[in-house]
Amino acid sequence: MTSNLMNSNALCLEIEPMIQAQTWQQSHALATPNSQWTAYLNQLCWQTLLPWLQEDYLPTATVTPHVVSLPTFWELTTGTALRLNDRRIILIPTETIDLDEFRIPQEWVDIPTWAGDYYLSAQVNPDEGWVRVAGLATHRQVKTQGLYDMGDRTYTLSDTDLTPDFSSIWVAQQLAPTENLRSELSPIAALSPTQADNLLERLGNPTVLTPRLAVPFEQWAGLLNHGGWRQQLAERRWGVVGVRSPVQWLQSGLSTLAQSLGWQAVTLQPGMAGARGEGQESGVGWGQSLLIQDQPYELRLSCLDPAQNTWRFELQSLVPGGQIPTGFVLRLLTEDLQPFEGNEDRAMTPVDRLFLEVALESGEGLVWEVEPMPQGYDCEILRF
Amino acid sequence: MRSREGLVEVFSTFLQLDGDRFQTWITDPRLRRSMEQRLGQSKSDAAGLSENYWALYWHKTWQGQTAVESFQAIARGHLTAHIQESCYWVAQKTAATFVTSQTGLADCFQMAIAQIDKILKGFDSQQGFNFKSYASAALNSIIRETLRQKQEIDICTDWGLLRKISQKRLTEALQSAGLATSAIAPHLLAWDSFKLIYIPPQANGTRKLPKPEPETWEAIAQRYNQERLGQSIPTPATAATIEKWLLACAKAARTYLYPNLISINTPKPGQESGEFLDDLADQVQTDSLLSELIAEEEVQTRQTQRQQLQEVLIVALKNLDGEARSLIQFYYAEKLTQQEMASRLNMKQYTVSRRLTKARESLLLTLAQWSQQTLHISPSADLLKYTSSALEEWLETYFAQSPESAS
Repeated sequence: MTSNLMNSNALCLEIEPMIQAQTWQQSHALATPNSQWTAYLNQLCWQTLLPWLQEDYLPTATVTPHVVSLPTFWELTTGTALRLNDRRIILIPTETIDLDEFRIPQEWVDIPTWAGDYYLSAQVNPDEGWVRVAGLATHRQVKTQGLYDMGDRTYTLSDTDLTPDFSSIWVAQQLAPTENLRSELSPIAALSPTQADNLLERLGNPTVLTPRLAVPFEQWAGLLNHGGWRQQLAERRWGVVGVRSPVQWLQSGLSTLAQSLGWQAVTLQPGMAGARGEGQESGVGWGQSLLIQDQPYELRLSCLDPAQNTWRFELQSLVPGGQIPTGFVLRLLTEDLQPFEGNEDRAMTPVDRLFLEVALESGEGLVWEVEPMPQGYDCEILRF
Repeated sequence: MRSREGLVEVFSTFLQLDGDRFQTWITDPRLRRSMEQRLGQSKSDAAGLSENYWALYWHKTWQGQTAVESFQAIARGHLTAHIQESCYWVAQKTAATFVTSQTGLADCFQMAIAQIDKILKGFDSQQGFNFKSYASAALNSIIRETLRQKQEIDICTDWGLLRKISQKRLTEALQSAGLATSAIAPHLLAWDSFKLIYIPPQANGTRKLPKPEPETWEAIAQRYNQERLGQSIPTPATAATIEKWLLACAKAARTYLYPNLISINTPKPGQESGEFLDDLADQVQTDSLLSELIAEEEVQTRQTQRQQLQEVLIVALKNLDGEARSLIQFYYAEKLTQQEMASRLNMKQYTVSRRLTKARESLLLTLAQWSQQTLHISPSADLLKYTSSALEEWLETYFAQSPESAS
């Protein structure tokens, strides 16, 4: 229960005791006490705010890109992105008693794949078990009114700059749904795979307590703008290697961790795709369920020939007899998101499946994507 | 309390309290001259304007981009004088309801009036109509929030408190404790290292955090010494020094509750009071704001608008369902706490909080639509902050006048 002095118009939500106990346990998977605490606060925050948003505002409100990706953000900085219709809301939990300032990590403001439309300051009180919506600002406000602090790379707004009232998001949504709430961002220079590798090597060491401050922001942003590198960095800090390596899946089966990321073993029908290789035994592959425009699909991956390191990616509908609609694209990119020859299959008319077959160098990384973008998609680098 | 008479007094005198009791009104000579000058120089009908028009005028002046600093300070002073009674009554009510022996009416009054800038920044004369009503609502929130913070600070151990204070607040607290700028940087770095390394070992024991163990102190000191060079801090520190600094931080944080009010009477170095007043006189002559405000048409328009808004919002209030209307009534007319509302309606406090937000939301939507159509204010996300405070102002005024009419 909150203090009797809590202003009567303050929006306070109760943290479910069960959630508090669970998230405390889960947070220990992160690398350092500080990132564990960050994960704990962020979990309390979104797991309390999201059910309220879904119930009182929009049933389709969701975290983004995906629940399983969230710890990879918290390993590196604080904040959780939510999607409310077309608006991205970045929740920033704070445990301060006073609300004199709202500090927002620069990543959430200046990295294009991270930036949001709104920033929500959420005061979390783990002792009394509540989360209070303390105020809001738009991206434009953060960029124009915020002070940049070089010391910890944050944008700081004074409490008087914030809109105290959560309702204003909803009212703005109804009266000005298309208003552009963002300031323009400078593009982030892309890193080469070698540069990224060097950074991953250096910052993947968990004794570097604040990797976000250990290299110039341009490099850091170049690394984090790429979802796959963000995941790799966090996973290295957790001491987890080879999670997203189909070569390893082939040798020793899917790890529990890979399964928690959405992959599962599937049996491919003989004579069908993925089992064409000469002398290859009945097809083993892995599938990931996707939801695209509210319809279920599956992305399948199978090895055509281990010796040649050739692989097949395939997209098909999970609806019996269902097809892939015109305009859908299955695409593969190199690790640093570059296209290559024959990297996409596009449905010119409705088709049974989209597929691509590739021969890879040992250790080569690939990123898959589908157009339109599946719900909860988070770019991942598969290592072959 | 003797009530103040005349515009000059209302905009240039300050409450003097003796303990928790009203003693007298004290005149600020500079504000007095400023008001007299203005009344003397402007057209004769300026004197006939209501207090509220003068408040709006001073707020516009304060907000104005071109206003020179000293002039802005004068405007701020006039508005601070203007809301003295409101602040007194809010402080008295809060003190009677919540306060312990340590914090009386005078403290409440002081903590609220010290945050005048917060009040000024929350208001926009484009959207708001009555500055004083808005200020009453804002002062009430400010006092309650400051007391809540004080209560929470009192519960915390020093180590818990250090993890629960914002950098801005800590910096101001250290300044207020008399630390030189060069001494503040090492304190802040020590504090930052402490927060990074000393993490609560339990899920819900953040307030009662015990003193760190010796090895934690060593780790904090090590972090400090690694980082200090990058921040050009020449002072190295041992674990013992860090501990001493952090205790000083905690002490400063407990002592500092709200910004010290800077009197507009404090002359700036090299600035004689004569020049200061000359500045003012210049401003007066070039000032067109006032003549705009007193234009007959403008006064008429604002009155009509206020009337329209009243009608629109009364309808919106009537359209709320019974529960939502009760909540609004409990909050604005009876000033109940969330806990009191919860027990009246037999629901959980958190449910009250959600429902009240929802109830206000439909009123906010109505007001925003009206502002868009009538005042031609775009319902931009950034401007809705003022729409929201205009709604507070309206509800405050409405329920103060007719607490029963909404039920």
